[in-house]
Amino acid sequence: MAQVVLKDVVKNYGGVYAVNHVSLTVEDGEFVALVGPSGCGKTTTLNLVAGLIPMSGGTITIGDRDVTDLDPKDRDIAMVFQNYALYPQKSVYRNLAFPLQMRKMDKAEIDRRVQAAAKTLDITHLLERKPRELSGGQQQRVALGRALVREPRAFLMDEPLSNLDAKLRVQMRSEIKRFHQDLGATIIYVTHDQLEAVTMSDKMAVMNGGFLQQYDSPANVFANPVNMFVASFVGSPAMSLVPLTAVSKGTDVVLASPEGWEMPLSDANGRKALSAKSNKVVLGGRHSTIQVHKAQVPGSVPGKVYTVEPTGDVTFAQVFVSGAVVNVSVAPSFQLRPDEPVFLEFDQNRMHLFDAETEMALTL
Amino acid sequence: MSASTEAAVIHRTGIDGWRWFGRLFLVLLLGFTVMPMLWMFITSLKTGFAAMQYPPQWWPTEPTLENYWRLIDPTSSVGQDFLRYFWNSVWVSTLTTILAVVVAVPAAYAFSRFRFPGRTFLFFAVLLRNMFPAVVFLVPLFILMRVLGLVNTHGSLILTYLTFGLPLAIWLLKGFYDNIPVQLEQAARIDGATRFQAFFLIVMPLSTPGIIATSIYSFIGAWNEYIYAYTFLTRHDQMTLPVGIQRFFSENATDWPGLMAATFMMSIPVVVLFLVLQRYFVRALTEGAVKH
Repeated sequence: MAQVVLKDVVKNYGGVYAVNHVSLTVEDGEFVALVGPSGCGKTTTLNLVAGLIPMSGGTITIGDRDVTDLDPKDRDIAMVFQNYALYPQKSVYRNLAFPLQMRKMDKAEIDRRVQAAAKTLDITHLLERKPRELSGGQQQRVALGRALVREPRAFLMDEPLSNLDAKLRVQMRSEIKRFHQDLGATIIYVTHDQLEAVTMSDKMAVMNGGFLQQYDSPANVFANPVNMFVASFVGSPAMSLVPLTAVSKGTDVVLASPEGWEMPLSDANGRKALSAKSNKVVLGGRHSTIQVHKAQVPGSVPGKVYTVEPTGDVTFAQVFVSGAVVNVSVAPSFQLRPDEPVFLEFDQNRMHLFDAETEMALTL
Repeated sequence: MSASTEAAVIHRTGIDGWRWFGRLFLVLLLGFTVMPMLWMFITSLKTGFAAMQYPPQWWPTEPTLENYWRLIDPTSSVGQDFLRYFWNSVWVSTLTTILAVVVAVPAAYAFSRFRFPGRTFLFFAVLLRNMFPAVVFLVPLFILMRVLGLVNTHGSLILTYLTFGLPLAIWLLKGFYDNIPVQLEQAARIDGATRFQAFFLIVMPLSTPGIIATSIYSFIGAWNEYIYAYTFLTRHDQMTLPVGIQRFFSENATDWPGLMAATFMMSIPVVVLFLVLQRYFVRALTEGAVKH
């Protein structure tokens, strides 16, 4: 296993940048998730690491070797594809053996490794079958096995779970995590599902529009999103964003709504709000940090219930606040009706403030 | 309830009626295509005298294989000619087929996988040839062959057949390569294969049905071609079967049983090829019709 370093990696098609100066370091043995909406450049980035498409600029090193100009076969990496890409004409055994044969390993060693990989993944009984005779989950295991036999320096996975049904996906998710823990493998994992990224990875790299937005542990990305995109992309339901205006009132700072109400800010939040380029500030809050009241309490803001979605152990609701939709959650015993007026109290210590102009988080 | 049962019965008879109509149509079609073949075979078993009788003998009173023996007897002049034509046809058709596959496989792969300037234009230019009747090219190609000094050589035929066979071969194969996920090659390249190995070891085996269909198509096209062979070749020892068989007409009186025997033997390779490889052929022509 080895460290993977991307430095200023660029891929452009004509004038369109698919990957725009992305730099990130994947430490030896780390599980990094590349996550973002479709077309954000995550798969392109992975293909650049694999060497499947030529780079337009920058360098990639794997371990101590600069692989920027190397063919995929010389990079000593393994890849698991979204559609598994098993060789249809070969049996499972020969699928697993193929990467070893290509490396001119002797037959006994190939057999030993294939059997070992098959045992690890519990597919020994499938070795003589053809890929089309396997279920989706089994094909997925074979694809993992083919990556595993070679003991590569790094594993690249391109949405490996997206073709599975929901139940199997959860199961394979924990299996891949287990696989990572047991092998101490360096894994770069592409997904559009932020939940997969949050639950599986040591670090997540959030991408959008070809740019790397934030690269940190899931906990940090969740707690301290650097900008409005990351804030709204990570977490389910998404963080609610309400555009407001910061106004100084003597020593205090309040957020004023065009609807006429004002929300006082704590000292620290007040200073953050004033650091924005203009006085346009976006208030961000996750559902778990917003209290819902039926009557006005100090610091709360008025809103109107839009929809109510009971899920059993928690009830989610969407509330219109100053023209924006705010996701909140309440206990199932707390009765809410559509169109009911409510008052929302944002937790001053856990609220987020963004500069409406730059869309960046405001920090002290 | 009774009303719905009745409706169902009426519905059923409707389908059955169409089914019987369909069967009748197929039988007629079968008769239409098989009868000439059958008559050809029956005639080939007759003596020259029996073949000219009227009313015809539906089944020869004295069936004989003598016509066939004569054709494959290397000591008689007829046998010598026939075997030479046969060999010429095999040679020209086989070489055409091999060259067609050798050119079409990489060409189709390139059209399917690579984006290069003029790709679309070239691809449709390849088809342009097929929009004109073959005769249009007869004279220009003859002049070209004369300039190249290829008249009266098998090379002229092979080149010509390739210009006719390649466009469809490339189209057919491109469809195949389009249907093979590019990830298979990518996986192979990551697994340690070079680009060529990925193509040769993974992609090409998957396109075998396409390659076989292409081969059959090229072979049959070359095997049956008449007008170019008739124009480009004037020397007897160069002639292919379709032209050669014609000589059975022209010299002296027409030897019908001999002609039919020769024709029957000429159709054997095509029929055998088709029977052996038909399942690939059907698969190739319907490939990509539905998502697997």
